Amino acid sequence: MTLQRDPEGFEQKTLHALVDFKDKHVLEVGCGEGRLTFKYAAASSLTVGFDPDHDALRIARADSPYALQKHVHFAGASASHIPFSKETFDIAILAWSL
Amino acid sequence: MVHALDEIRRTLKPNGILVDLRPVESNWSVEVVSSAGWQASGRLSDMPAAVEDDEAAFNAMRAAESNGWYSKKEEKEFAFFYYWDTPSEMKEFMEEEWEEFEKMEEDVYQKASSLWASANADARVRVRVNMLITIWVKQQR
Repeated sequence: MTLQRDPEGFEQKTLHALVDFKDKHVLEVGCGEGRLTFKYAAASSLTVGFDPDHDALRIARADSPYALQKHVHFAGASASHIPFSKETFDIAILAWSL
Repeated sequence: MVHALDEIRRTLKPNGILVDLRPVESNWSVEVVSSAGWQASGRLSDMPAAVEDDEAAFNAMRAAESNGWYSKKEEKEFAFFYYWDTPSEMKEFMEEEWEEFEKMEEDVYQKASSLWASANADARVRVRVNMLITIWVKQQR
């Protein structure tokens, strides 16, 4: 099956028009396979994506571009208990997950 | 869902921002697109589960706002397109992936198939998903 999602890049353009990721610490809730994560993470200084779906996280880790691997991390967790101390992140993203 | 918004708030720095990015149900449009332009063949039917999910998400954000956790800074709608090479591929995908959320009525599928068959050779089919992005700023308690 040939499926393309947002080939025009409207999602990425809109996200970057409204949010400045430069040198920010970013938390992505419900990152899934990292489809959105890889569209902004390069600008951030640290991105943590988490999701309760471990199969999706395996794909996210496998697909993570080499250039992003030092500052992008994926973890298995749910939004009801985020395993980070308070006031860690500049930006939190609910990506198709609320 | 509301508890999760409070948990996210805990991890945000003062004046940190929460980005809520998601599709909103609105009987998304089915379209045939080619180098000659695009034509709508009809709209999908929102299934009850999808409408309930939308309402729950909006209610959760309203609760978070009224609790004084976040204030709305900015909101914008935009289109997000799913493309398939053929109407049958689109139908197959919807039946497998969107069964609980969206339904394509037979007349919409038939019209898409007809438009696609008579369009230029580069014709594809797409669904126009309505997206909403909202920027929220963390408030101090």
